[in-house]
Amino acid sequence: MKPPSSSSVASEPCNTLPGRMITSSGASGSLEHIALLARIDDLTGRLTHWVDDSLPWGPARRARSLVARLLERVDAVRFRLESPLVVATFGGTGTGKSSLVNALVGEEVSRSGRQRPTTTEPVLLIHPDLEPETLGLDLTLFSIRKVDSPLLRDIALIDCPDPDTTEAAVAGSNLTMLRDLLPHSDVLIYTSTQQKYRSARIVEELSEAASGCRLVFVQTHADLDQDIREDWKNCLAQDYEVPEMFFVNSREAFADRQEGHSPRGEFARLVRLLSEQLDTSRRVEIRRANLIELLQEVLVECRLVYDSAMPDVHELQEALEAQRQEVTKSLTDQLTQELLQNRNLWERRLITAITDRWGFSPFSSMLRLYNGLGALIASFTLFRARTSAQMAIVGAVQSARWMKTRVEEQDSESRLDRLASFGISDQQLQESRVVISGYLNSSQIELESSSHSGELAALRRTAADLEGEFLGDARRAVDTVVDDVVNGRSGLLRRTFYELLSLAYLAFLLGRIGYNFFWSSFLAPVLGRVTEPEPLMTVDFYIPALLFLVIWSVVLVVMFTAGLRRGLDRHVRGLAESMAGSRLMHGLFPSLDEVCHSIEADNQALSQLLDDTRSFRRSLAGVSSAFGGRRE
Amino acid sequence: MSTEYVNQPFTDLATAARQLTQAVSVLSDAASVLQPPPLDSCEWHEQLRQKLLPQLGTEAWLVAAVVGGTNIGKSVVFNHLAGGRASSTSPLASGTKHPVCLVPDGFTERQDLKRVFPDFDLSEWSDADDALRETTNHELFWRTSSDLPSTLLVLDTPDIDSDVRVNWVRADAIRRSADVLIAVLTQQKYNDAAVKEFFRKAADEDKAVLVVFNQCLLPDDEEFWPVWLETFCRETGITPESVYLAPADRTAAEELRLPFFERVWPVTADGPPQPVGQPRNLRADLSSLRFHEIRVRTLRGSVRELLSNDHGVPSWMQLLHNASEDLKATSERLSSDAVLKIRDWPVPPASLFVAEIRTWWKSRQQGWARRINRLYDKVGAGVLWPVKVARNAIQGEPIEPLVQYREREWSAILTTIEELFDKLQWMAESGNQMIRPRIELVLQGVSRTQLIETLRRRHLAVDFRLELNEVVHQEMERFSVDSPELFTFYRQLNHVSAVVRPMTSVVLFSLGFGPAGETVAPFVADAAANAVVHVVADVAGGAAAAVAGDTAVGTAGKGASMLQAWFHNLNGRYTERRVNWLTDLIRREMLGTLPEDLQRASSISDSVEWKNVSESLAHIESLLQETHE
Repeated sequence: MKPPSSSSVASEPCNTLPGRMITSSGASGSLEHIALLARIDDLTGRLTHWVDDSLPWGPARRARSLVARLLERVDAVRFRLESPLVVATFGGTGTGKSSLVNALVGEEVSRSGRQRPTTTEPVLLIHPDLEPETLGLDLTLFSIRKVDSPLLRDIALIDCPDPDTTEAAVAGSNLTMLRDLLPHSDVLIYTSTQQKYRSARIVEELSEAASGCRLVFVQTHADLDQDIREDWKNCLAQDYEVPEMFFVNSREAFADRQEGHSPRGEFARLVRLLSEQLDTSRRVEIRRANLIELLQEVLVECRLVYDSAMPDVHELQEALEAQRQEVTKSLTDQLTQELLQNRNLWERRLITAITDRWGFSPFSSMLRLYNGLGALIASFTLFRARTSAQMAIVGAVQSARWMKTRVEEQDSESRLDRLASFGISDQQLQESRVVISGYLNSSQIELESSSHSGELAALRRTAADLEGEFLGDARRAVDTVVDDVVNGRSGLLRRTFYELLSLAYLAFLLGRIGYNFFWSSFLAPVLGRVTEPEPLMTVDFYIPALLFLVIWSVVLVVMFTAGLRRGLDRHVRGLAESMAGSRLMHGLFPSLDEVCHSIEADNQALSQLLDDTRSFRRSLAGVSSAFGGRRE
Repeated sequence: MSTEYVNQPFTDLATAARQLTQAVSVLSDAASVLQPPPLDSCEWHEQLRQKLLPQLGTEAWLVAAVVGGTNIGKSVVFNHLAGGRASSTSPLASGTKHPVCLVPDGFTERQDLKRVFPDFDLSEWSDADDALRETTNHELFWRTSSDLPSTLLVLDTPDIDSDVRVNWVRADAIRRSADVLIAVLTQQKYNDAAVKEFFRKAADEDKAVLVVFNQCLLPDDEEFWPVWLETFCRETGITPESVYLAPADRTAAEELRLPFFERVWPVTADGPPQPVGQPRNLRADLSSLRFHEIRVRTLRGSVRELLSNDHGVPSWMQLLHNASEDLKATSERLSSDAVLKIRDWPVPPASLFVAEIRTWWKSRQQGWARRINRLYDKVGAGVLWPVKVARNAIQGEPIEPLVQYREREWSAILTTIEELFDKLQWMAESGNQMIRPRIELVLQGVSRTQLIETLRRRHLAVDFRLELNEVVHQEMERFSVDSPELFTFYRQLNHVSAVVRPMTSVVLFSLGFGPAGETVAPFVADAAANAVVHVVADVAGGAAAAVAGDTAVGTAGKGASMLQAWFHNLNGRYTERRVNWLTDLIRREMLGTLPEDLQRASSISDSVEWKNVSESLAHIESLLQETHE
């Protein structure tokens, strides 16, 4: 019994505003205390935030409404965090709940008897000094008795009806009443007897009632029954923490009280537990432990909901990934094919790159000339074919003009038609849509159908974007290949070789012409070396000379380009391989990808919340170890 | 003992019960779509199996069982009946896990105990602790007792209210076999929900009940027990044969000398307080019961339960019937949506038809005409060859029309199954819980992938030229027989086919849920359970005659319009054939037996299985009447 606490009971009823709650405990408690309260606030704050952050996913919604309901209860508890603890009796009919209550307060306050059930209306026992309104209970549920008992200075006691005489929980039955009461209690005194301790009904009801409650286990009828606490403990051990069990004889204890004796034996220990461990200083601790336990239980339940639904989401993700790979593969296949087919484009691109690098020189001029002619011819084909893959080969500069028209065509039909020639076919899109919506259904994701698959046109647009993305990658890859090939084929040695060869003919020609022009036709006769000046060379000479120049150039260019082409196949295949391995940023169903990612993140968030709650609970373990409770 | 229970009505009842068991199991299988409650969860079925089948039409014996909540001294009472420590007692709850049975001498030679307790593995009793063994199978330990009347079996049973639920199952099985229940009650438990539920069933089965109030605080409780018993009887409907009080005397209980004081029930209000009296011998009281009467009474009780509208076979059938009606209503609601319309089923280009018709025509020619035609063909091909090559060089190899057609058909197939999936999805969402699981199985992503793969494979394997060939030949043969206009037709072939525009066909087929709705009627009125394909020729432009389809052709219309109609008809035939192919495939690969199953389940009350059960029940009812006569 702790006399000083009575004054604090009297002063506390006004501390009911949540805001003041913290200041008042700050005044009475330590910094550590405030820190703990802040931690609870932080946790519930995060939960509130989590609840508000909605997802278009069935399980997420279900889990959130679970937590939302809990948060309401949490608020109620926070509201009365420091009001006297509510202790309720719980146990089968005939296990002596009322007798125990009477013995505890030392007065016949609740009718006990041999007729089942005896208690049909719950009795709330409070100290005369306490205003019952501060308890946060629905007072219409009880008949209220004010008893000036030392035990009631710190707690309010409820004598509850039994859970086991009612077959179905209909309105007004004992069971319904009990279920209304129990969520409001902080501590349960669970009474049982040799006959009842394994009653299925009680065990089941306890597992409901015990969430967010401290438990005190009492075996009654010590005068008639044998001690079964060991077996009882074993039965409970799997689901509950069972610190100590009391074996009491309420009748004898009541008689003792009446005769003014102080409590004896086990009953004395029970009274001590109730009066010492539930006093003012423990209230917050116990309520906090209850709260955290409740939070954890609900979060575990949410976890179960998520765990059972996550595999379907993962399957959807896998299916999306598979679709994405399939798209990449078919795009890559088509690209490879086109790249291999358009050899002349390659050639032009490579030669351009090389001549750009070499600047002006005889051989490079030859190449330029050749390329220019080629481009002239190719421009016709380009206008006709203009596939995206060809554009990738032609490269950024050359395709600029074409790109401009492409942008203009962005949403027009002709662009969509183009998809049929290169890219993802309508059939492929349809197939993907059929399959994905199957997975979507089982995943319980609630998306408006228009936003994920919807019209084929929308899907086509996504596909076109995908293709654009893919071709952008492809262009960069082609640029690299071009650079590689050019680097390998434009070395100084090779260049010198070709330049020399082309120069050799030119030199020969120049020599030949110069000799004729300066010497044999002019200087030699002037100097008198020869009598007759040779005639200047005529067209008869220049035509074959030019012809041979062309032939020589062609031979050299062909040799050179043949060299360029060598190993191109290998490069293209390498390119295809690297493209196939690359991962597209988006899939055909970007909104679905997004939802899956948020679900994944939400799943993580839930785990984090659960982990934090769990570690919080562990850090609180031992604070209220005098009481039993549900195991994790 | 008299052999009266082996009299005619009971022997007939035995046969009828066997028939009924058979019939309900067949009906239950047939109605599996309706998800009936499993038979072994139905009280009446267990009653049939555990009480009526073993006991009807056999030699009479009486089964008396000690029953009650956990840890209230059932085994103590049983040991008093046994006259020794036959079943272990323990201060801990739910100790007795298995029933122990006392069997009169010679009983096992006359009867097969396994038949009497069909759910239990029998072993001979060796030790009082046998019953405490924790095993998952139901065991029953029996020992012979020379003190019992030759037709009385006495059992100790596991509890009916502990958290060890398997005990309940065992106790329920014993309750059903039993004729007499020795109900052990205490002041703590007489009003417990689990206890009341158990005894309410016993009352419904018209068991004879002896009530023993154990652990009474005498004489204090003398004034309370009538109140307790009054509540108990009111709540459960039991009328006890006799009532005993046993004091809370642990020592006496352990030494098997617990006194059982008999009390008169019902208590008369103004009657004198009942004398404490001499303790009674329970076993002697039990032995002096009127066996025959009780036996007939409990058998009748069980048969009545079987026939009960509230919890017997009729209630089960009512469940089935409701589910079936529900399904039927849903099916009807869904049936208009079970019809799928495909609007743009592609048709092969007319040129292909024309080419095919020409081939057919050629195959009909004979003699020189044929030779000349061949020659022309060769010459024509030769002349055209360079043109063809040049065209190919310029425009690239032309795509084969059939290849193109295949592509288009595949698109149409995809659109169809997509629509089908949407439809099924809608049905799953708006259907009831009988339809939903089946459909959802089909709707899964994995099954969709499989379906598309199968369809693609099968579609690639289709030889379109052969399809075309078969349709054209069939139709041309028919045409050549029906119509003298054949030659005119052939002459106008090019002209006709040029006028005919590509047809927009509307194809309807029913998924076969319930009666195919009015939408498809009258085409499919007679084929409710079948997927029915009907091609409605809806012509895009002009040619009104085409709509008339068959009729126009049949009534020997004249000229080009008739021929156009015929050509449309040809297209229609072809489409019908293709859609039939698809429908068959979809039914085989996707829906399976779903439509038939639903169909059958929605008309379960018209089925033979249903009739058999009803008849069997009526028969049993009339036999029950006879036993009263």
